[in-house]
Amino acid sequence: MKKKPELLAPAGDLERLKIALLYGADAVYIGGPNLNLRANAINFTIDEIKEGVSFAHSLNKKVYVTVNILLHNEELDIIDNYLKELEECNIDAIIVSDPIIVKEALSKTKLQVHLSTQASTTNIETCKFFKEQNVSRIVLARECTKEEIKDIIDNVDIEIETFIHGAMCAGYSGRCVLSNFLTNRDANRGGCSQICRWDFDLLNEDGLEIKGDKPFTFCSKDLSLLRYLPDMIDMGISSFKIEGRMRSVYYIATVVSIYRKAIDEYCNNKDSYTYNKEYEKILRQCANRDSVPQFFNGVYDYTCSYYNGREEISNQDFLGIVINYDGYNKIATIEQRNYFKTGDTVEFFGPNHDTITYKINEIYDENNDIIDIVRHPKQIIKMKVENELEKYDMMRIKVVDKTKKM
Amino acid sequence: MSKLLVVPSNIDEINKTKSLCDGYIIGIDGMSIGTNMLIRDLSILKSINDKDIFISLNKNMHNSDLDKLESILIELNNYNIKGVLYYDIAVMNIYRRHSFNYELVWNQEHAVTNYNTINYWYDFGVNYAYLSSDITEDEIVTISKKCKSKLIINVFGYLPMFVSKRHIVKNYLGYFNLCDSSKINYISKEGKKYPIVDNDLGTICYSNNILNGLESYVNVKASYYVLNSFNIEANKFIEVLKIFKKSNKKNFQECNNEIYSLFSNIDSGFLNKKTIYKVKK
Repeated sequence: MKKKPELLAPAGDLERLKIALLYGADAVYIGGPNLNLRANAINFTIDEIKEGVSFAHSLNKKVYVTVNILLHNEELDIIDNYLKELEECNIDAIIVSDPIIVKEALSKTKLQVHLSTQASTTNIETCKFFKEQNVSRIVLARECTKEEIKDIIDNVDIEIETFIHGAMCAGYSGRCVLSNFLTNRDANRGGCSQICRWDFDLLNEDGLEIKGDKPFTFCSKDLSLLRYLPDMIDMGISSFKIEGRMRSVYYIATVVSIYRKAIDEYCNNKDSYTYNKEYEKILRQCANRDSVPQFFNGVYDYTCSYYNGREEISNQDFLGIVINYDGYNKIATIEQRNYFKTGDTVEFFGPNHDTITYKINEIYDENNDIIDIVRHPKQIIKMKVENELEKYDMMRIKVVDKTKKM
Repeated sequence: MSKLLVVPSNIDEINKTKSLCDGYIIGIDGMSIGTNMLIRDLSILKSINDKDIFISLNKNMHNSDLDKLESILIELNNYNIKGVLYYDIAVMNIYRRHSFNYELVWNQEHAVTNYNTINYWYDFGVNYAYLSSDITEDEIVTISKKCKSKLIINVFGYLPMFVSKRHIVKNYLGYFNLCDSSKINYISKEGKKYPIVDNDLGTICYSNNILNGLESYVNVKASYYVLNSFNIEANKFIEVLKIFKKSNKKNFQECNNEIYSLFSNIDSGFLNKKTIYKVKK
């Protein structure tokens, strides 16, 4: 078996960075104040990057910063200073798509450089070129098949990172500017307005509508490669990337913890490893979108397309996050994220214990008054929970009960 | 001297436009996307060797394409072509192992947006940069002053705004059991129609409006100005070529009006409209 791969998680802010690392990610990728493809996200300040790096390094884990926009003239002047600022943050690498940033970073700083998936690298020749330029890792395009990834690993001595889970672009990264044309927001500079998820009418060459039961869309199902994890580990992929810097703490905690368990179970005992369908179920419910292996197994037909008529239901599995646990009195203090009430059966999960099923008997508000229903966003409540919990543990709907609730 | 390059739809169009342009961009079957005329037999290039010929090899190359790609690059050296347009870096990496007679054109549609990155590729022997159509004329002017490469600029035609390996149209038809054999489909939203083509290599979707970059043609210095005949009526395309051919700074307004009078869905794209990437809170 090849080296155990890195599990790389997204983090939109410091809280999610900590959650991702505590729940088992080996590294996180984040956006800094400039030049990243989530221009409208909160993103990290330089001070927050430093704090995040300090936290990660204390756990012997890593932080990568995306600097992955395609530059226009006006951004050229800020690159050098920005790269130096990032270098001073002691980050572990930057993730880049514009080759001029590769050159500037490697010639003027000591930063490690990873080539972003935004560069849509799909072949051995391109990998060889960027290896020559001293890029230390390449994030392959999501269009690569299992065989293509293996060929690249076998023929180019460079770290390869691939996506294992999350949303998919409909087009080749870098070659979609639907957002520019339809909303004037620059997709390759962080302004993507996800036009691929819009509905359109499809017309034939005579201008007549071709109408299916649901509207035409570019939209793809999500990616999930949980089932292929053993293959991917055996191929020697260096890093498994989870998509989603805009995702919630609950999503991050759930997805990271599932992949952490699966990777460890396979690497710790390959012979006895069996695919856990419960993991798949939890991942599916967490994202609330269908997921498939996409290009990995070479199938990218209509089974990968997502025709839902924009009827996505927001995920309400996440009920709360533990912000404190009083071990002496066995009282958990919880910040509410979705409606729950006395009598509900819920689950607690966390990075350091198995999932705990728990029936809610009594709920107290901050004044220690008994309440029956927790309906207010971020409401602080307390509950007696016999099993020991920890800060950052999550409370969710009991997975098998979800269908009943909906 | 400014030269007009045409992206023709077929050989007939080449014959009809020979006196109106200086060269052509032609694709090779299985290797080019968004290039209207695809050839298999390269010998056809001999019949137009009095023109500047650029071959577009602009698909995203996968490992299985690499041997064929190298063969084509080698074979192209037997023809009198001016250059090869590429999207994938694999083309450039193979090119630099050989010493071909033709030059390379960096043609990463939406990535050719600043002079420093153009100069980066120039240092690897890429002598031409085909500028993105998502940048403003001011940005083009700055690039033209600060880059070492020769420039190619789009000045007329529908602009590609989406390329996918997926068969987006065929998938939809297949999923809902619909039949349609259109060569070009359209997607429509809020009264705007966007051409979309789903072929063997995947899907490409174009702008709803035709780019009219006559202003850039008369104001910005470049080696070549590209006019694409995709989805344009043949007679109108020839009219447009004639207008470009006769235009200059003095008669610009008159020529520009003539072009606008030919089409209802035409504008100057992003030449005078800067894209934003940070939405104001």
